[in-house]
Amino acid sequence: MKKRSGLSWLGLCLGLVYFFLPLLATFLFSLHGKKGVLSFAAYERVFADPQFLKTFGFSLEMAVFTVLAGLALIVPTAIWIQLKVPKAKPLIEVLALMPFVIPPIILAFGLIRSYSKPPFALVSSPALLVAGYVIIAFPYIYRSVDAGLRAMDLRGLSEAAQSLGAGWPSLLFRVVLPNLRTALLSAVFLTFAIVIGELTLAVLLAWPAFGPYMALVGRDLAYEPAALAILSFAMTWGSIGLIQAISRGSPGQRSSLGGTH
Amino acid sequence: MPFLELREVVKSFGRHEVVKGLSLDVEEGEFLSFLGGSGCGKTTTLRMIAGFETPTAGSILIDGGDVSRVQPNRRNLGMVFQNYALFPNMTVRRNIAFGLKISGRKRSEIERRVDEMLELIHMGEFAARYPHQLSGGQQQRVALARAIAIEPRALLLDEPLSALDAKIRVKLRDDIRDIQRKLGITTIYVTHDQEEALSISDRVAVMKDGLIEQIGAPFEIYNRPATPYVAAFIGTLNIIPATAIDPAAGSVAVGGQVISAGRRLDAKPGEELSLSIRPEAFTLGGANFLEGSVAKVKLLGSIVRLVVSVGGRAVSADGFNDPSRRIPAVGETVRLGVAAEAIVVSRPEEAPLVAQVVEAEGVDEA
Repeated sequence: MKKRSGLSWLGLCLGLVYFFLPLLATFLFSLHGKKGVLSFAAYERVFADPQFLKTFGFSLEMAVFTVLAGLALIVPTAIWIQLKVPKAKPLIEVLALMPFVIPPIILAFGLIRSYSKPPFALVSSPALLVAGYVIIAFPYIYRSVDAGLRAMDLRGLSEAAQSLGAGWPSLLFRVVLPNLRTALLSAVFLTFAIVIGELTLAVLLAWPAFGPYMALVGRDLAYEPAALAILSFAMTWGSIGLIQAISRGSPGQRSSLGGTH
Repeated sequence: MPFLELREVVKSFGRHEVVKGLSLDVEEGEFLSFLGGSGCGKTTTLRMIAGFETPTAGSILIDGGDVSRVQPNRRNLGMVFQNYALFPNMTVRRNIAFGLKISGRKRSEIERRVDEMLELIHMGEFAARYPHQLSGGQQQRVALARAIAIEPRALLLDEPLSALDAKIRVKLRDDIRDIQRKLGITTIYVTHDQEEALSISDRVAVMKDGLIEQIGAPFEIYNRPATPYVAAFIGTLNIIPATAIDPAAGSVAVGGQVISAGRRLDAKPGEELSLSIRPEAFTLGGANFLEGSVAKVKLLGSIVRLVVSVGGRAVSADGFNDPSRRIPAVGETVRLGVAAEAIVVSRPEEAPLVAQVVEAEGVDEA
């Protein structure tokens, strides 16, 4: 028993080293922005670049729209399927795999070919980019929401609410969504993370997004990409910490991060 | 005019007919139970009354109005579920207030009503707790209060006690009955537990295969079962194969022993028959008896059950656990006396299901 627990500790340590060593190396490398001394010079240069804020701001904006559109589309659908047409679940499961099966480059060319001429001349509108992002984010949003719905006895709660006089709006806003809070938060953060770093769609649809900017910086510079990588890690971890903090703040809920992967 | 009326209600799921033309009248203030095994259609019937299922045919009337196609949230019926279905994101107080808020009552009125409900279920000190901080019994009491708070036209309970421990079940059962009496609310209660149904109801509807097999007061159901199924489903029943000896005199033979059923039997001499006798109908000794050797003595608390082998067949006989009386030992030969009128005689083929149920038990005990 003791031996086994020793082995598992060893396994854990190896795992942590494997994971953190490159991160540490990147971090240390990013501190060499000024020759001979350790400094945050690379970070200063990143923040000083007007392109950084511009592209980041653009991607952030796209992320907000993607989240709004994605949730508005997918949450009611997931609830409806769970309640009314559970038979359609396998179909949705297959659809949710599609964004993984179809490479983004195919998606991008498909979007361009379909929507570049009337009656759907949308190719110069950011709406098309958002639409593409919704497709890419769909599996993550759907899985989070589905896990959240399954954790809460949707049928029982909706019947209880209906017997107490609640119609669909009350049911949705007073019962279902408050109980989905953790799942929705994780869907939101995952979508943000995906959209902020997305490269292919942004490049092919020619938008000045954060993904292409990072690729550009990575090609031309040495220390700044390392600094950007560390920054994006910090943002992701900050988001996860935020989910935990918020979900712990609601005493009525069993803390469960929607299983998304 | 009945308060709640079901007229020839049918419900099919695909090709499978679950409720097959069920008709029923429930008076205002009455406590009625649907009792039956799984798949008998009792829950489906309740869910049609609640509005969660739409009848395939027939109609449901409440207070004279047809509600068959009315949405569940417009029926004003209180519902209590087996798994409580409390809103996990709300405290006890907010759970109870939910229906009142939806109907747009004044804040002060809601507060007053919720306090009233908390007092009714004796849970005032738990008002600020969340459902997951309560025991199952407490959660179900909150669910009951939540359903009653909206002053529903009728209260519907779907196996509300089956997820609870035996002791809490009995306590909560009595609480439900007390509250129902106090408020005089028409109540429909679904259960598979015969003791629950008999102890709590004004009337019991025993259901089988999507129809009501018998409906009546608990005493009537138990003492005068209308069909062999009801007889077997309610309480324990011995089914004993017998042969008609002298049908005019009512005498039959069980494994060579002649016993009197006390009335003229519509059968030919030598015809195979089936006797149904409740275990508590037997006494030790008496003029009209079956003799056998004791195979087992089971103590069931206040009752002692003797399993007696009569002509190779296990027959159960119950008596009070009276310390002043000697209990026969295993292997001893006893005479099981029975009053002629306590014997129900039928043809074996009239009770195929009954025979099945009790035979299984007989094998276990023999």
